[in-house]
Parts: sequence; C-alpha cells; structure tokens
Amino acid sequence: MNPAADSITGPVQFDAVRALYADYMEVLDDERLAEWPDFFTEDCHYQIIPRENYDNQFQLCTIQADGKKMLLDRVQGIMRTQRFAPRRCRRFYSGLKVTKIEAGQIHVRQNILVMQTLIDEPSQVLLCGAAYDQLDAQGALRFKQRIVVTDTDTIDNALIFPV
Amino acid sequence: MDTVSLSWPADPNSRIPYWVYADDETYQKELARIWYGPHWLYCGLEVEVPTVGSYRTLMLGERPVIMVRRSSDEISVVENRCAHHGTKICWERAGIVEDLTCPYHQWRYDLDGTLLGVPFRRGVAGQGGMPNDFEPKDFNLRRLKVEIVNGVVWATFASDTPSFRDYVGPEMWGHYERIFSGRTLRVVGYNRQRIHGNWKLMLENNKDPYHAALLHVFFATFGLYRPDQKNALEMDATGRHACLTAVMAKGGANQVTGALPGFDETIKLQDSRLIEAVKELKGEETVGASTIFPSVILLQQVNSMQARQIVPRGPNHFDFVWTHFGFDDDDEEMRARRVRHANLFGPSGYVSADDAEVIRMVQKGMAPAPREGVALTLMGGREIEKSSNMATEAAIRGMYRYYREVMDL
Repeated sequence: MNPAADSITGPVQFDAVRALYADYMEVLDDERLAEWPDFFTEDCHYQIIPRENYDNQFQLCTIQADGKKMLLDRVQGIMRTQRFAPRRCRRFYSGLKVTKIEAGQIHVRQNILVMQTLIDEPSQVLLCGAAYDQLDAQGALRFKQRIVVTDTDTIDNALIFPV
Repeated sequence: MDTVSLSWPADPNSRIPYWVYADDETYQKELARIWYGPHWLYCGLEVEVPTVGSYRTLMLGERPVIMVRRSSDEISVVENRCAHHGTKICWERAGIVEDLTCPYHQWRYDLDGTLLGVPFRRGVAGQGGMPNDFEPKDFNLRRLKVEIVNGVVWATFASDTPSFRDYVGPEMWGHYERIFSGRTLRVVGYNRQRIHGNWKLMLENNKDPYHAALLHVFFATFGLYRPDQKNALEMDATGRHACLTAVMAKGGANQVTGALPGFDETIKLQDSRLIEAVKELKGEETVGASTIFPSVILLQQVNSMQARQIVPRGPNHFDFVWTHFGFDDDDEEMRARRVRHANLFGPSGYVSADDAEVIRMVQKGMAPAPREGVALTLMGGREIEKSSNMATEAAIRGMYRYYREVMDL
C-alpha cells in the first residue's frame, strides 16, 4: 500500500488491518462461531461465490448474507440445525493488500486457502480463492463487505463453516 | 467381488443389498444399461446457449459432451472427443464457436458433429496423409438424440428412447409443466460439489419424504416440509420417476412436532427474508421435488428453483451440479430473493448440506463391506403406490423395482 494515499492510512492503520484478519481467522479456526458476526457492520454483505458465477455476472452464491442478522442466522444454522461430520478447518491467507482507501472504507484483497481435516482422512484443500473486502474504518474496523471468490470449482462434499 | 453372492435378497421390494452401491461390475452395467440406455439425460437450459455457436460442456454419465446451438431452433449434443484421438475438443465450460475444431491436430467438425476437414489428409508433397480408404463420413462425432422440452434440453444415447413426454409419463408431466411452463428462463448461477456416495443415493434422498423433517431440523423448525402438512408422493407407471409436493404450514409446535427429535421451538430466524416466499407458480403446493431418472432432480421450494444434475464418478462418488434458475422477467426484488433463498440449497445449504453429509456416511457405513448387509425400505409397507403420508419409502421401492428390471437382477 501507499502510505501517503490517505490520512487514515499509514503503517499504524495497516497494522490494524493485519490485526483484524488475524483475529478474524483465529475466531473461525477455533470455531468460536458466536463471535464471528461481530466482525461485520449491521448492513454488511457477505458472499462465498464460485468464480464461474462471479466472472459471468451470475448472482448465485454458495453462502450469502445481506446484513449481520443473516450471519447470526447462519451461525445458528451451523450450531443448532445442520448435521455434518466432525471436522477441523484452518484458513491460510497471503498477499494481504490494501487496494483503495475511500470515504472511510479500506478496500483489501487477499488470497485464501482453507484446509479441512476429517476423522480417518488426510488433511486436504477444501477451498482456494481470493477475498475482496471493504472495511469500515469509522470506529473499530469492521467488514462492510466480504466477498470470497472460490477458484475451487467443485466443493468436496460440503462447505459447512464460513471463510 | 464374487458374483455368486450378488443376488437380490428375498422380499425384494423391502430390501436393497449394499453391493448395488459399491460393486464396480454393477456400476459398469448401470452405465451401459441406464446412463447410455433408453433414458433421457438432463443437459441444461435452452437459454444457456442463446445464439448459434454458443456451447456448454458437460458430462453425461462418464462421457464428456458438448451442448451447442446449431440454429435458432436446434441444439446439438455431441460427444466432446475427437474421432481421431479422443481429445476433448472444447476445453472451456462455455463459449461461442464457429465450428468444433480439435486443438490437437485441427480436425474440424460442424456444429452437428459432421467431420469437415482433416489437415494434410492428402499428405505433404505427395508423401504421407490418410490412406485412400479413409472416409470422413465414418468419423463424425457421436450425436445424441435431443429434445428441447419447454426450455430444457434433454439428450439420450439410445435411438429407441420414447419421446420425453412419454418417458416421464402423465403423472410427472404436470409437475414438470408447473415449473417449465414455457415462460422464458434465466440462469441465476451454478454450484458444484463432489459427494462421496453412490449416485443412486441422491435419487433415493429426493424420493424419501420420511427423512426430511427428521434429518433436516431446519425444515421441521420453520415448517417448510414436515409430516403435519398436506403432502403427496406421486410416481410414473414404471416407478422410476417420482415427485414429492407439500403445502407449507405455519412453524411452531403441535402434536406432530413432538415426535420430531430435532424440533426446537427456541430456534428463530433473525432475518426471516431467508424463507419469505412470494407465490409465483400454479397450484397450492409450496414445494415440488421431481426426480427424473436417472440424471436430475428438478426442485422448487420457496422462490428457489434448481436443476440438480447427477454425474456418476465410479460407484463411490458423484458430482452434483446445481443450476439455479428464475424467469427472464423477474424484477430486482425477485432476483435478490432467489439468491437469498438459495442459502437453503447447494454445498452449504441449510438443508442440502445435511443430505451431502448423510449420503457420505451411508457410503462409509456400507461400502467397505458390501456383501454384509441390506438397506430396508419397509416404511409404508411393500406397495409401490402414490401416498399422501410422509412416513413412506414407496418411491424408493418404485425406483428399485424398475432398476431390477433394467439390470436383470
């Protein structure tokens, strides 16, 4: 990033962005799902969307939420209504880059890899892709938008946990 | 596997031997007799190939094919492998072409798979080239028989397959027409997953109203599909196809929910737009799930409509390709609603992820020892008849009665 780009940026702000992602991944990797929606603004947009759809202007997602309430519903679904094999998912991200700072919003992109481990199976790549995020920098950093575009064409069985 | 032991158990309507889900020879026979036999296979929607030369690639059974528009009212489905060396001709998932040219040696076919050109057929400066007895007309791409039925493209490898409408039968046709009325469709998007179970398990799953409110706590809790509702199960005369319908009731507790172990009245949605539907199709039913044997499930629930294509990948796996669609004249609100409602379905669906996970566990339970057991299909008795009660496995029995006939089992 260019530290001179905006008054809200600079090394301190970039550290805050990095810290946000570290906290975010930690909460998901440790399955503290109840804490996950608090990383988002009330009017957030969250999507995990196949690249096939994203690149061709098809709106269908794999997981989609308009607003924090829908993220809370997703958490309730995973924790209380869905049935799935026990698993561990761990998220690896790289290439964290601030692409634009505008009107109190920090635009960030990163590469994403999710490894999944099931009982009696070797660990494997569940998902590979890139995330295009907008962080609301007015007050504590929160996701106003998180769009995870999956290069992974075919999901291995099911994608249960968010990314 | 020892073929001597591969006989169907006694009381055939009530039992399915584990080996039909795991035995490789049985699987090969399924490909030949079912997937490449006299059955219509789902290819896609007509609107996916809107102009002459636009194509999509897909798998039918284990064979790669190209669905390509060759004129304003004709669509070809041809095998996506060059007659020369078996190379896949189209490598993209979708695109637009003038003809079908193999990248390897530039063999060129028209949009109906007729071989047009072989480079250096006469050799170079009188040397090499194809022998004189080479007849291009013997090396066209394999063409499938195609029918476009109210906006959906179907293909079959067999020449003696009856018309699509006769194939599905009058019982299924009404359900088909409810969604595919001829109104122009619109693709909402795709999802793909590889499920680690036998392909037939997914058809069974969608013919099985018994599991729906038991496995799917989401259905039971929000009243989307559960046994206290008015519902119906219908089949075609052969038993291979089925349709489940129901009329959504209010959520909440009553006598029936007491028998649903997963039901929990304290589970509420914070944002009910997830399941708030607008009536748009004829009839009172709020859900319709048609299994068109063997390749697809056509399902409508709330304002989500999908074609779920099955692509078998050996006895232990299949790909599940979801095409969500709406109507061309959907307004912005309906477009947004369809995307929201899609959260119930697909690899992460509040409901569908349960099915993918449970199918994997069925396979893990029986495939390692396929001669050791049988699955029971006794719910609702041994009859293969339509039902208005969800405690039935009649449609699974119907599919396997037809299966035994086709497979000589």
